[in-house]
Amino acid sequence: MDEERVIIPIGPQHPALKEPMNFMLKVEGEKVLEAIPNLGYNHRGIEKAATVRTYIQNLYLAERICGICSIAHVQCYAQGVEKLLEMEIPPRAQYVRLILSELNRLHSHLLWVGVAAHEIGFDTLFMYLWRDREIVMDTLELITGNRVSYGFTMLGGVRRDISPDMAARVKKEMKTVRDRTQYYKKMSSNERSILKRTQGVGILKPQDALALCACGPTLRASNIKWDVRREDPYLAYNEIPFNVVTSDGCDVLSRMIVHYDEVIEATNIIEYALDHMPSGSFREKVTRRIPAGEVVSRVEAPRGEDIHYIKSNGTDKPERFKVRAPTLGNIPAVCKMLSDSYIADVPIILAGIDPCFSCTDRVTFVKGEMGKGWIWTQEELRRYANRWYQQR
Amino acid sequence: MVPAEIIEFLSVLIYPGFIFIFTLAFFYEWVDRKFVARLQNRYGPLYAGPGGILQPFADFIKLLAKEDITPRAADKTTFRVTPILMLALALSTLFFIPTAYTTAVSWFEGDLIFVTFLVSILVLITLIAAWSSTSTFSTVGGIRVVLQMLGFEIPMTIVMVGPAIVSKTLSITNIALWQYTTGHYFAIYQPIGLIVLIICLLAEIKKAPFDIPEAESELAAGWITEFSGRKLALIRLTTDVELILAGALVTALFLGGPTGPFGIPSVIFFLIKTTGVILVISNLRALFARFRIDQMLGGFWKYLVPLALLQIILVTLGVG
Repeated sequence: MDEERVIIPIGPQHPALKEPMNFMLKVEGEKVLEAIPNLGYNHRGIEKAATVRTYIQNLYLAERICGICSIAHVQCYAQGVEKLLEMEIPPRAQYVRLILSELNRLHSHLLWVGVAAHEIGFDTLFMYLWRDREIVMDTLELITGNRVSYGFTMLGGVRRDISPDMAARVKKEMKTVRDRTQYYKKMSSNERSILKRTQGVGILKPQDALALCACGPTLRASNIKWDVRREDPYLAYNEIPFNVVTSDGCDVLSRMIVHYDEVIEATNIIEYALDHMPSGSFREKVTRRIPAGEVVSRVEAPRGEDIHYIKSNGTDKPERFKVRAPTLGNIPAVCKMLSDSYIADVPIILAGIDPCFSCTDRVTFVKGEMGKGWIWTQEELRRYANRWYQQR
Repeated sequence: MVPAEIIEFLSVLIYPGFIFIFTLAFFYEWVDRKFVARLQNRYGPLYAGPGGILQPFADFIKLLAKEDITPRAADKTTFRVTPILMLALALSTLFFIPTAYTTAVSWFEGDLIFVTFLVSILVLITLIAAWSSTSTFSTVGGIRVVLQMLGFEIPMTIVMVGPAIVSKTLSITNIALWQYTTGHYFAIYQPIGLIVLIICLLAEIKKAPFDIPEAESELAAGWITEFSGRKLALIRLTTDVELILAGALVTALFLGGPTGPFGIPSVIFFLIKTTGVILVISNLRALFARFRIDQMLGGFWKYLVPLALLQIILVTLGVG
């Protein structure tokens, strides 16, 4: 049997992947036995860049880690710096940031379900979802003035307030989005051709999900109730009632359902937040120098748990900035899902974790002028690090 | 008096021959694209001509002017010849199906079998085209084309025999005429056959949900991946001609072909009926997700083959 095993490379350039990433699939016939991931095709040096910029400039850098969950990353960064400053931002700013985070979740989720529909060849659903995502994008533009990178979150608050006019308009749009999403959810869980492509595909059992540290909707679709908004509340999430959505299918279909449900939940959160916004200022002045110390901050990004680590040495520039994008947490899980699947299901399984590989890459090995790259396992990297510190 | 040969030559070249079919091909591509776009809440073709009606033609001209790349590893001769061969085959198949007049350009007793043969050859040429380009995506796409043929060919052939049994002729032209003269339209008497034929034709012309050989998210462009420039233009024209082929075949076998009352020119009836069929095909295209190749084969053998056989049994029992 051994000679029948073929290794198929998926990526770094592949139609199923929107961003460069490589999976080596060991296959036997049509069946995938094992998947080995290789990261490192889109290293952008963001962490290094952050250490030569001031804390305020880094706000814009953090926002550009991901073009889709931009609010989540900037929120995570700002939250960390505010923790170092030992300050609480004004309650109104907390609510505005929360509304933006949820709008961010809305458009990211709608985008993902659209992409998933496209992966299984259902372009009509793709077009409809992206049309409705446009409503959310317009809402974001109404509030912040931008569509992708908002430049809205500041240290100590937000740049602009949400006026009552805006609030009324946003509430109206949320109703439309909720109604449409409910319809799509009903349709997706009944339409036979969707069920055939998603049910029982990319299974991730709850115990595997926990063992492999999956996060976000992927984890919740494996019926594990874990959400940073609930477990470690930030902003005003402890004042707002919401459900942590789970589904027990453990497959791509239940990931789809979780995304739909979270969209519905997010519209409810936004409406509640708009109704209960406290009055007061939306911004506080902060000093440019940040007291020395280190902090870990985490938020629930649309794709899962986003973790930022900031180390300050008392100047106006961070000494070390580390980002763990949610996709990294889901890569071991997606390798587990790929094993024992069919080759034809690989695109939808890969898309199933809502991957954002370009946000994930933090390390790449390149040799000086030759520009030649190589791959190291974690063990080799650890040994290299030990050697380097001994020599220092 | 113009010699009969010249008239015949002109009829092959202009009407209802090449020029007519090409015009129709571009028109139906536009109908298909526009209709699907509207179903998906998009605009579709918009700028070239009124309502973008000239867009398919503009695309064709644009592709003709584009760089034509032949991969170094490709089997050059086959790679060059197959697009032309495909278009020629699709066109010659269409000559046996009545389009503008009540009789086809060329017909003989038994052309129904000949047409099914040509349709399968068309699929096999696709495999050769895919194989000669030697890229992985093309090869897998080509294999899927043939696998798909194993699924749709048998039920399709079976249901095409249904009308032939009742009208006691093996000529597509005569089947169409027989329906008109007796008023016994098979769309009413053999509805199962009609449905099975339309589903099989969807797979034959490789439209969603059976666009498995060119599954965009899995195989880039599938079997067409390596074709570019003029070759791609010809392949796209072939797909359009195949769309007419599907429409014309359903029209001739089940809707009475280009015939109708009140002395209106038969081409009008042909246009109305085929447009109807193509709208049904486009509608189905927008409705479903793509199946996996094993699901498609399983579905065809488990449901369509028994349904097709049931239709034939009903026909032999005198129902239909």
